[in-house]
Amino acid sequence: MTKPGDRAYKRSWKNLLINKRYQLRFTLFMVGIAGLLMAGLGIWIKIVADETTKVSKTSKRGEPCPKIPVIEAPYEELPPPTMKLPDAPPPIDAGSAAADARTGDRPRRPKIDVTLDAMELPKPILIVPPIPVTFKGDVVDHWTCELLNAAAIERLDAGHLRIMLVLVGSMLLLTVGLAVFGIKMTHKVAGPLFKVQLYLAKMKEGRLDKVYNLRKGDQLVEFYDHFKHAHAGIVALEKSDIDRLKAVIAAAEAAGAGEHASIAELRAMLARKEKSVE
Amino acid sequence: MSDPTAATSTPVAPAGPRPKYKRKLSNYLLDKKLQLRYVLVVTILSGIIAGALGYMIYDQRHQSTASIESDLQRLVGADAKDVESITGDYQSQDRILVYKMVAAGIGLVVILSLYLVIMTHKVAGPLFKTSIYFERMAEGKLGAVTPLRQGDMLQEFYANFKEMHDAVRARAVADAAAMHAALQALRDSRNHGDYRGETHSKLTEELDLLEEHLVQRKQQLA
Repeated sequence: MTKPGDRAYKRSWKNLLINKRYQLRFTLFMVGIAGLLMAGLGIWIKIVADETTKVSKTSKRGEPCPKIPVIEAPYEELPPPTMKLPDAPPPIDAGSAAADARTGDRPRRPKIDVTLDAMELPKPILIVPPIPVTFKGDVVDHWTCELLNAAAIERLDAGHLRIMLVLVGSMLLLTVGLAVFGIKMTHKVAGPLFKVQLYLAKMKEGRLDKVYNLRKGDQLVEFYDHFKHAHAGIVALEKSDIDRLKAVIAAAEAAGAGEHASIAELRAMLARKEKSVE
Repeated sequence: MSDPTAATSTPVAPAGPRPKYKRKLSNYLLDKKLQLRYVLVVTILSGIIAGALGYMIYDQRHQSTASIESDLQRLVGADAKDVESITGDYQSQDRILVYKMVAAGIGLVVILSLYLVIMTHKVAGPLFKTSIYFERMAEGKLGAVTPLRQGDMLQEFYANFKEMHDAVRARAVADAAAMHAALQALRDSRNHGDYRGETHSKLTEELDLLEEHLVQRKQQLA
């Protein structure tokens, strides 16, 4: 329920900047301080993040991976040369040996004919060294480790980038948020001041209109109360003048001096004062 | 804050420059609610930003130290004493970093708070001074209004207030003068025998009351 003296004012974003000088000064100060703070610490974070990423990447690069066992390449080898011997001579029979003895001839040796042309050179043999049993597992382990290290380095780079993005994003968000918050906060002070200024302008012109209450959430409530007291004081002054003037005019009229020039002046003054407190 | 009560004893603003008012430390918090609210908001906000970013710095630094530690552990192997002697330095550096950040945070909060109290005082000061004049107006007193100090904010608002105050005062002075003139004229008419019968005494009584009223008004306007 609306109290007497309340008037429903709707806040509009268009009216947020009522007192630009005061509001922008305070808001810019707040944004400036926060910006400086964030920039200083942001640079510090970047330096430390660069250092950390560098150290971590170096550390990852230095991590040894299991080595792939070396296997010899297949090679060719010549087999030893083979000589082809002629067929063995037929065995010497006993009769011919005895005949030789009787004749005094030396016993005959079997004749061997070596024909070099007939030697056959062997063909080279391809020798494939044996592959260790663990070779397959070793290769898999090696490349898994290498890939994991590469992925870890990529992750570090991505993490570094993420930190920078979070930093810049939070700085922008905070700056915009602070600016909006600052303007809204100062608006709660500038609003009542603006309202008081409107009443001051009216009072200056001699209009003592009814003073309405502040909006909910406005600041400077006590200050506004002081203003209302002042306004009421001026109204009281005018009313006391009105009462006195009415009494004098009535007495003068009763005494037959109603047409006196001074009474006419007092009537004009009375009319003006009555209008001012309407 | 200049003393507005001085205005009552000096109906006309004194000639020459006003004596410079000295700001007192104890008077800096004139409107505690308004000033502390603003100081608290900015200080808490700065604290949160500094804390969050500071934690990020510490976390990065700690990660770096942990990485170096693990590398050293791998290099030195089982000789844990060597690792401890080297990594101990890194850990103490991490601690020093935290102390530095905490000290910087506290310093920042103190400096910010002091600066904000001074800044908000420049708004609260004019409001305080205007409030005193408002209370004087509430009592019907319309003495002279002295200007704000140099460096105070809300100069435009205060100028509007002063214009209003001067206009109300000028009107009241003019009205009092007009009523006084009317009073004199009516008394003169009475002396010349313009008034008749029983109403004579009533008019005399009313004119006396008007005179009293004007005397009181003159005191209020002094």
